[in-house]
Amino acid sequence: MSAPAIQAVELSRRFGAFTAVDRVSFEVEQGEIFGYLGANGAGKSTTIRMLIGLLAPSGGRATVAGHDVATAPDAVKASIGYMSQKFSLYLDLPVSENLRFFGAAYGLEGKALAARTAELLERVGLTGQGEAITGELPGGLRQRLALASALLHRPPLVFLDEPTAGVDPVARRTFWSLIRELAAGGTTVFVTTHYLDEAEYCRRIGLMVDGKLVALDTPAGLKRTWVPDQVLVARGQGLARAAEALRRLPGVKAVSPFGAALHVRVDPARLDAARVAAALAAAGAVAPAVEATPASLEDVFLAAVDRGAGGVAP
Amino acid sequence: MSAATARRQLAAVFRKEVSQTVRDRRVMFLLVVAPLIQTVVFGFAVDFDVDRVDTVLVDHDGGEAGRLHARRLLADGTLRPAGRLAGVEEAQADLDGGRAAAALVLPPGFSADLAAGRPAVAQLLLDGGDPNRAAVAGAAASRYFGEVAEAEARRRLEARGRRDLPQAVLVPHVLYNPRLKTPPYIVPGIAGTLLVIVTTLVTAMGLAREREMGTLEQVMVTPIRPLWLLLGKLLPYLIVGCLDVLLLLGVGTWVFGVPLHGSPLVLGAVMLTYLTATLGIGLLISTVSQTQQQAFLGGFLFMMPSILLSGVMTPIAAMPAWLQHLTVLNPVRHFAEVMRAVLLRGAGLGDVWFQLACLATIGVGILWLAAVRFRRQLG
Amino acid sequence: MTRQGLRRSLVRIGAMAGKEAIHVQRDPRTLALALVMPLVMLVLFGYGVSTDVDHTRLAVADEDGSEASRALVRAFGASQEFEVVTRRPPAAAEGLFRAGDAVAALVVPRGYQRELLQGRRAEVQLLLDGADAMVANQLLAKADAIVRQESRRLAGLELAALRPPVQVRLWTQYNPAGRSAFYMVPGISAFLLAITAVMLTALTIAGEWERGSMEQLFASPVGRLEIVLGKLLPYLALGLLELQLVVAFGAVAFDVPMRGPIWLLFLTGLLFLVGMLGQGLLISVLAKNQLVATQAGTLSAMLPAIILSGMIFPVENMPLPLQLLSRVIPARYLVHALRGILLKGSGVAELWPDLLALTLFAVAVVTLATRRFKRRVA
Repeated sequence: MSAPAIQAVELSRRFGAFTAVDRVSFEVEQGEIFGYLGANGAGKSTTIRMLIGLLAPSGGRATVAGHDVATAPDAVKASIGYMSQKFSLYLDLPVSENLRFFGAAYGLEGKALAARTAELLERVGLTGQGEAITGELPGGLRQRLALASALLHRPPLVFLDEPTAGVDPVARRTFWSLIRELAAGGTTVFVTTHYLDEAEYCRRIGLMVDGKLVALDTPAGLKRTWVPDQVLVARGQGLARAAEALRRLPGVKAVSPFGAALHVRVDPARLDAARVAAALAAAGAVAPAVEATPASLEDVFLAAVDRGAGGVAP
Repeated sequence: MSAATARRQLAAVFRKEVSQTVRDRRVMFLLVVAPLIQTVVFGFAVDFDVDRVDTVLVDHDGGEAGRLHARRLLADGTLRPAGRLAGVEEAQADLDGGRAAAALVLPPGFSADLAAGRPAVAQLLLDGGDPNRAAVAGAAASRYFGEVAEAEARRRLEARGRRDLPQAVLVPHVLYNPRLKTPPYIVPGIAGTLLVIVTTLVTAMGLAREREMGTLEQVMVTPIRPLWLLLGKLLPYLIVGCLDVLLLLGVGTWVFGVPLHGSPLVLGAVMLTYLTATLGIGLLISTVSQTQQQAFLGGFLFMMPSILLSGVMTPIAAMPAWLQHLTVLNPVRHFAEVMRAVLLRGAGLGDVWFQLACLATIGVGILWLAAVRFRRQLG
Repeated sequence: MTRQGLRRSLVRIGAMAGKEAIHVQRDPRTLALALVMPLVMLVLFGYGVSTDVDHTRLAVADEDGSEASRALVRAFGASQEFEVVTRRPPAAAEGLFRAGDAVAALVVPRGYQRELLQGRRAEVQLLLDGADAMVANQLLAKADAIVRQESRRLAGLELAALRPPVQVRLWTQYNPAGRSAFYMVPGISAFLLAITAVMLTALTIAGEWERGSMEQLFASPVGRLEIVLGKLLPYLALGLLELQLVVAFGAVAFDVPMRGPIWLLFLTGLLFLVGMLGQGLLISVLAKNQLVATQAGTLSAMLPAIILSGMIFPVENMPLPLQLLSRVIPARYLVHALRGILLKGSGVAELWPDLLALTLFAVAVVTLATRRFKRRVA
């Protein structure tokens, strides 16, 4: 088995009295798409910045692409590509100039640079946009440009921090197909995201709550561990009123609003859809319709956060 | 790091900076055209010669001698006749209202006293709101009447038989600016002032802008070394600054007749060292600024005292000793001194080595400090 | 707008202004600029910036070596303006000037005393470094006076100097001690207010445009004009505070008087500030980014305030085109009005033209700024 692309051991970062990242340990294999989830402020971006050599760890250590982030940050930087959360290319320059600058920064020049630029523009679907001013591109195209910029020097490992934030669903899907192509080609992808549906694309997911890594597994594994109960979805009118009463029903683990519907986690040994529907009707809901639904990462997330806030452990 | 890599990184940053700057026409205008306009305005506006001070005349005497002296006094150029008034109250009103800056009052019997050998006293009321103007106008009047008094005293002594009185006379010989015009003095200094405003602010805000926009982080993830980043951001403005100096010199010579003596090499040396200093200061300020607003304010807070204490508008020799010593740290002062020395007096390297050494030390020192601070900030 | 609507509007403006004020208060550099810089400038102007030179370096070449020539040299050395630093032949003068080692060279030619004893005119030469015109002018006048004095002494005319046949007495009004602070304080006030109002507003608002947060504000229910007013009000308050500070400090440290009505002082300041804020707004709308805004602000506010307002350099001395240009600069009217109020005790009767000019400028600029602002945002 080849060496892991990323290896973090008890990685920590403190800012004064505040601990942003608390003894995080994990490994990412080469060629893997590794997802990193968590609420805002949970410590995802800080972790990334330590891994790419922008921020020195307060404790623990990490090895990225074979280099130690604390002692050889420059070697780390040369081996990785990075796409930051806030768009960070030059808005006033045309697309080609941005690529040319960052390419030169990584040591590309002349014909090689020109060829690579053209190749990447095509790969991300921006052919012909070379002279467009970056700031005038729509959000989705801008994100693709940022991705291209991170790939100029063919790094074995890329870090993508919320790469699809603020982008429409179609564009998001296109973007993820690019990511999957990358990984298929052997590039390791470390991605953080808010969109839990996207997280399903990852081979493994790490979940951060308040600076700690509380879960690390494949999506299916996470669901098995965190949401072992059945999840039912209830639709109808007046559900909000009925929810409170439902919570008190024995066998109900949690009731969470999901849009206009309710997600109800139940112990399958004690309750089923019909019973829950009856309970809702008795509590004043109108025409409740309850059916089983596969557990989603959203449920996992809520359960994990819940546990962090003192909720019920699985 | 190999030389080739360093060159490549520097070139990449330089190219990007140039591309960004050239794209924004307003910035180009402000960096190149605006200083030109300001130099022209400044050169024409600033005139330290106090002359044509509006003076009203209140003649209670009416005698011929009085009229003669009044006419002569008001014709010498420093004072300018602005009308005759009937009484002191009107004169006072004119001074209050700003219609005149001085009032010559001849008391009744002035001419008679003079003819009879009695002491004759005239009065000059001055608007002290502008003390420089008042001092010069007063000095002109004092000198005129002093000359009249001396001539009169000699005449009387000679009339009593004392002849062949000795007289010492000063013959001035002015070098380098024979007509003592203001522009040759002011324009070289103004060039220095405008350069500070343009170069220091631009570099100060430049790095802060990258921080604000988020691009700095992306650059710091690349292998580009902090030193090449700073230098690459500095070089384009060094070039623009040199261009500005040449343009300003051109305007100075063509429009204002500033002479162009002295060695171009020395001029080149002072240009480069001065610009390195001002650009370096801008970079230093940007390393301690998170936003462009902070960078601007920092730059401004540095600029104002350094312009005021540069000897450009008021002489260093007129400042208290401790302040004079402090100005050795001020690059604007050295630039103005060298420019004047070389352009007006034809000074050579041996004459201005001290100022050049100061500039070089300040420039290199500040750049080094900026680089160190910047690197420390990157984790 | 209904009365209810107006009141609600004012409340929103107040809230915006309050928030903006907190930002300003938290930013130490803005506060330093607004409150510390005025004091620093006053101190600098009061003590550092003067035109009177003392102890200028004088080289002496006494080719006569007589008692009369030595007496003359002593007279120069005894004066405050000159300090004899070296004795060199006249040919060395240029080298001294170029190196900056001397600013003037006195040459007493051979035969000086003999000429005097024979009752004739004896000439003494003064070589002057004319590069620094202002200093040279002063030195010229002073050297001339020293030689005249010496001349009178030689002719035995000292007594006559005590009871001169004719003399002029000088009465300097409003500022008998001739202190430059009196002259400078009104000018500095104008300059500082111009800086604060124009630069800070241009910078702040341009910054918001650049970051995109301005557009976000517009998406909120707060009206556009309310936003702008809310943002500008704290700088108005800051400017008035600065004015107060400068006048108070000037009074305490430099005895600058306050002879006119205080309310007029603040009214004038207020009118000026409104115009400057409008100018800042206009710049920010046209500038699009902060770098351009600052340079444009410097060009259009700071330098005209220094050069064309009469703050340091008298406007009457300038060529006609610049004098006309000065009429469009509000700082000119502020400086004139402040000098009148502080030093001469002028009131509305004397200063109404200045007030009118300031009002016209303010109205014009604010209208223009608002229109372009609306167009940009709409």
